Amino acid sequence: MSSPSLAARFRIGIDTGGTFTDIVSVDTQSGATQVTKVASTPANPAIGLLRGVNEILAAAGATTDDVAGLAHGTTVATNALLQGEINSLGLIVNAGFRHILEIARQSVPEGYGNSYFWVKPDRIVPLQFVREAGGRLDFRGNELRPLDEASVREAAQYFRAQGIRAIGICLLHSYANDTHERRAAEIVAEEYPDATLSLSCVVLPEYREYERAVTTLVDAFVKPHMERYLKRVHQELGAGLQDKPFLVMQSSGGVASADQVVRKPITTALSGPAAGALGSAVIAEIAGFPDLVTLDAGGTSTDLCLIEGGKPHVTNGGSVGPFPVRIPMIDIETIGTGGGSIAWISREGHLKVGPRSAGAEPGPMCYPNGGKEPTITDANLVLGRIPPSLIGGGIALNVARAREGIAALAARLPGNMSVEQLASGIIEIANWSQANAIRQMTIQRGIDPRAFALLSFGGAGPAQSAAVMDLLAMKACIVPPNPGNLSAFGLLAVDWRTDHIVTKVMHEDVIDLADVAARYAALERDAVATLERDGIEASRIRLVREADIRYAGQSMEVRVTAPGGAVDATFLSGLIGAFNAAHRRTFGYDYAGQQKIELVNLCVSGFGLIERPQMPKLAGGTGNTAPKSSRAVYFGAGFVDTPVFDRASLPPAGRVNGPAVVEEFGSTTVVFPGQYVEVDPHGILVIRALSSQDKSSQELPR
Amino acid sequence: MNMHSTSHPWPTAPLRETVSVDPIVLQIVEGTLNSIEAEIEYAIERTARSPMIREAHDFRVGLFDRYCRKLTGRSYSAMPNGVVRDFPPETMKPGDVFLMNDTYLTEGSIGHLPDLCSTVPVFHGGEVVAYIQAFGHHDDVGGRVPGSMPGTAATVFEEGIAIPPVKIYSEGVRNDAVFTIVRRNTRVPEMLSADLDSEIQACLMGARRMGGLFERFGREQVEACFQAILDKCRDIYRNELLAKIADGEYSWEDYVEHDGITDPKLHKIALKMTKKGGKITLDFNGTDPQSTGPINWPADYADGAFLIKWIAPILRNLADTPERAAEIHVNEGVCDVFEVIFPPKGTLITPEWPAATNARSFVLLRVLGLLAGVVAQAVDGRMPADQETIRYTGFFGTDLDGKSFLSREVLGGGSGGRYYADGNDAIHIVPDSRNQPAEFTETRFPLLVEKLALRTDSGGAGLRRGGQGYEKHYRALVDCRTIVTADRVRLGCYGLNGGKAGQPFCVTVDAEGEGYDLGGLVDGEAVLKGQVVRVVTTGGGGWGDPLQRELELVLRDVIEGRVSLASAENDYGVVFTVAGATGQPEINEAATKQRRADLAKAQTATPEMIDRGIGYEKMLRGEHRPRMR
Repeated sequence: MSSPSLAARFRIGIDTGGTFTDIVSVDTQSGATQVTKVASTPANPAIGLLRGVNEILAAAGATTDDVAGLAHGTTVATNALLQGEINSLGLIVNAGFRHILEIARQSVPEGYGNSYFWVKPDRIVPLQFVREAGGRLDFRGNELRPLDEASVREAAQYFRAQGIRAIGICLLHSYANDTHERRAAEIVAEEYPDATLSLSCVVLPEYREYERAVTTLVDAFVKPHMERYLKRVHQELGAGLQDKPFLVMQSSGGVASADQVVRKPITTALSGPAAGALGSAVIAEIAGFPDLVTLDAGGTSTDLCLIEGGKPHVTNGGSVGPFPVRIPMIDIETIGTGGGSIAWISREGHLKVGPRSAGAEPGPMCYPNGGKEPTITDANLVLGRIPPSLIGGGIALNVARAREGIAALAARLPGNMSVEQLASGIIEIANWSQANAIRQMTIQRGIDPRAFALLSFGGAGPAQSAAVMDLLAMKACIVPPNPGNLSAFGLLAVDWRTDHIVTKVMHEDVIDLADVAARYAALERDAVATLERDGIEASRIRLVREADIRYAGQSMEVRVTAPGGAVDATFLSGLIGAFNAAHRRTFGYDYAGQQKIELVNLCVSGFGLIERPQMPKLAGGTGNTAPKSSRAVYFGAGFVDTPVFDRASLPPAGRVNGPAVVEEFGSTTVVFPGQYVEVDPHGILVIRALSSQDKSSQELPR
Repeated sequence: MNMHSTSHPWPTAPLRETVSVDPIVLQIVEGTLNSIEAEIEYAIERTARSPMIREAHDFRVGLFDRYCRKLTGRSYSAMPNGVVRDFPPETMKPGDVFLMNDTYLTEGSIGHLPDLCSTVPVFHGGEVVAYIQAFGHHDDVGGRVPGSMPGTAATVFEEGIAIPPVKIYSEGVRNDAVFTIVRRNTRVPEMLSADLDSEIQACLMGARRMGGLFERFGREQVEACFQAILDKCRDIYRNELLAKIADGEYSWEDYVEHDGITDPKLHKIALKMTKKGGKITLDFNGTDPQSTGPINWPADYADGAFLIKWIAPILRNLADTPERAAEIHVNEGVCDVFEVIFPPKGTLITPEWPAATNARSFVLLRVLGLLAGVVAQAVDGRMPADQETIRYTGFFGTDLDGKSFLSREVLGGGSGGRYYADGNDAIHIVPDSRNQPAEFTETRFPLLVEKLALRTDSGGAGLRRGGQGYEKHYRALVDCRTIVTADRVRLGCYGLNGGKAGQPFCVTVDAEGEGYDLGGLVDGEAVLKGQVVRVVTTGGGGWGDPLQRELELVLRDVIEGRVSLASAENDYGVVFTVAGATGQPEINEAATKQRRADLAKAQTATPEMIDRGIGYEKMLRGEHRPRMR
């Protein structure tokens, strides 16, 4: 990447999903993009990856010589965590803390009194493989008792005898002083050279020992999986591509070289979804909607993510499945409704939609060999909102079967509902549940959804999202071109990123600026060194300082960007000012001038900037927007003859009033009565309420 | 309950047979009510400041219809009845907010003074159509000790400021006088007023959302949905849960063993449950007189509506599976199924003002186990064994920098064994309540956490073992004082159906070895620099005969250190030999067979369905000495 030859002008993004691998290539000279899709090869995903790369090169008429670099979104770590059996893990903790995983944070999920019947799930490491080491530090990193090396040696020998392959080491206050952990690692390596090791001072140098221990164990667990996978990819790529820069998407929304990723593979725990969020951020910028809620509706579930100011929200309080993973991750919420969500009647006789799902197998009733219960997709079909054939028109959908399913459900409900009334109700319930989920997500993060637009992608989103926009009074609903390839596209728009953090709690009254400066300098050195190892030139490196701050007495911090430059009194007042502002923005109030703050964590993110791909504009059309056909679509009161447009034929600046249907390969967008859709110069569909036109230049009313 | 025959100073819902309601709107309204409740909780969680609210999650939200009926069921909550009694709905204005915490003037909805509660009316078409409410357990509302929970209090005057329902906002304008008085009566004015801001703002937001539902679907339709949601809960109880209990009378009693002043003493709570068709009557006559100390629970208000909603969820354990139990939400509809008969004024659950109540959670929680124990007798013991998972421990004093500090933590315990699973280790009944990381404690307070572990052998033995309690050791780095509010210090959590009781709570202070037991209600015992305070919390009761426990489970428990070799042999009849080379214990099968046979023979006739443990027998024999100093 340092000096790509002129010939090497193609950048390729590969997003490996469960069913399909999506590939996008960009010609960095012309800006032209190519997209394709190949079947994923779960047994060895490297095979599908290479097949896709070859296919796209052929389509572009290029060879491996023309490739400037590859960027990859992978689910290897996620799948290992969520599907694989977790075994062969060991943990070393301080003497007295052996039950750290069993105790966790003592919390029982959900309602009051569930502690009587809830059953605590098995821990990530069985108790017999958690061993104690003598020695102790205090919170400032001072040694209270020296490390008992014999106890570490004994633990290492025990793990070796038991065949434990991956070992996490998490000692108290190692974020303040890592010498005990590092010495313990040396001893384990001496006694058991084959073991894979993860140290909490490397993975997450941040206070809260339980969360740090689990994060460290997750890293240790995925390490061998990631090493094996990336080795296979390297082999499959062969002589022509092996030496090209190969970047892996991290959960934080930046890429890193395969070498960096293997050192700390936990950073890829949400690699795939992060790419989708990054692609959404690019669309946000191009479409002129910097504040977005993204809605990626699949068959069984829907992912929600917030883009604010053109940047995806990043959280360091996330989790992957049941495991708290406290490293920066794109903040994604998953809810249990998707196109395959089943409409059913509860044992109390009430109508329910989801979270049970027909998924891809057996699928909705209207699919060939489909299921026996009606789904959201079946409801959309009987209402005429989606076409009566699967993607591309190849496979016919069985409308009659979908109608039968819904009619049978209606017969079991009071009120003599027609098939259409019930189908419409099923969609309405699903829309409200998505709207409620968006509301909860935004309130948790202190955001008013009315100031945001909704970005809809994924196969099952655009048929309903404009109605969800309506329920939340959001600014617009936008649907990007090639909505199925957004993740792969996002991979090409991502900077290198490396995150470094250290915990140092300092009350406002006792902040030692020299100490803060030294710590930031050390973090910045680490970040630069990491990026330089990936071959990033100094001129392309940008460093961003952040700090986690709270009002003294709080236990939850807010992360704010810290000023660059000298760490002096001005720096400090700037930092505190930024915190007060962020606190007001998130919580609705602040205590500027009344309450002292506490610095908790200092963080530095290093970015290696890349050239962003341009999204091509649509060829200048005539502005003549002609439907390809029309069909009867049910809206509220009855069927309406509704024009159907082929998305490819919609010209830039074209505008259509609802009701209307826009069809494309793999997705259908519905524009409801009272709404209109406009096509922006890049082919992005922007749906708004007709009533919003006259006040489009002003804030929406409260 | 006599809701329809008694007249109340709040509106009574008309009797209706069944309501017809659009099944689609019903789903939308029900889903949105649950969402509004969650949204308010998220807003409070983000904006409150007390660790008790943020970390221990000790706050509750409630949504009510205009008849003060609770509509959502994820958690228990306070009730607006006291507010409506003093401020008739027709006098309320949009923008009004009410505040209260008086345990004797809130119709049974507030149990102790730290629970300040905000109430916001919801308007539609100029009329009050609903209420939104939130209360949090605030860190300090004054009184004799930091944290406002004096274990030796005899009157409410020692416990902090008591606020009957008052208007804290009038049409959007804050009543500064109330705020000024509240701030002057707490040790943490900044934190407390921030918490109140947080709760009030969150309720106002919830009220706007609820109002939106009325606008969208119209009052008639929304109120019909409310009724259908309440009816659903009632019907699940009647048709699904009560159906498992044979008609008849079932009685039992349980005890609290100290009240902070009279120590030790068995304070009896008696319950006779009569089940007939779709109705259950709970008669608490026979309960002991109110205590001198602060364990009283003023529950005899509003026909026991709070008490019913508090204890009825225990019947969810009768559901076919734990997954089904988790689906059942309990709202006001359950009050149609239960009737409560209270004893006359002057008992533990009908105390007279100004009896102290700050440790009322002892009685409140004990009543859950009491009802579970009564029901167990009706269903062949297919209920969970007992758990006790709330106690407060803390330290206060002056830290190394000369600043005053107050550290408090709510530590859980083990839950009881179930017929389908062992009890859970170290959990807490309050959903999402979190313990304090040692790294947090040590950074903030002059304390060193020397040990954070499960307490070996604390869970009662059983076919399904009780969960283990905590063992947590704190070393004081300065001279300071410790405060404890804990129950079950002599009486362990009961075992069921042959399962044994768990180990009781204990807190000791020692200087490396010579420990002395502080008991459970401690108001500031001195702890010297360098001394270690050892807190061990209750294990859950066991379920079923421990001699039937599968050998491989006993082996695992021994390997993992949950059960000692001695307990394995004496309680489970499993004999181990420790293999020389690996140090790994192995089961001696022949010796185990013999031991189990001997133990079975030694058992006296049929054991009681409920095992109260050795502590109870010792109390009956007068063998416990007072621990108050």
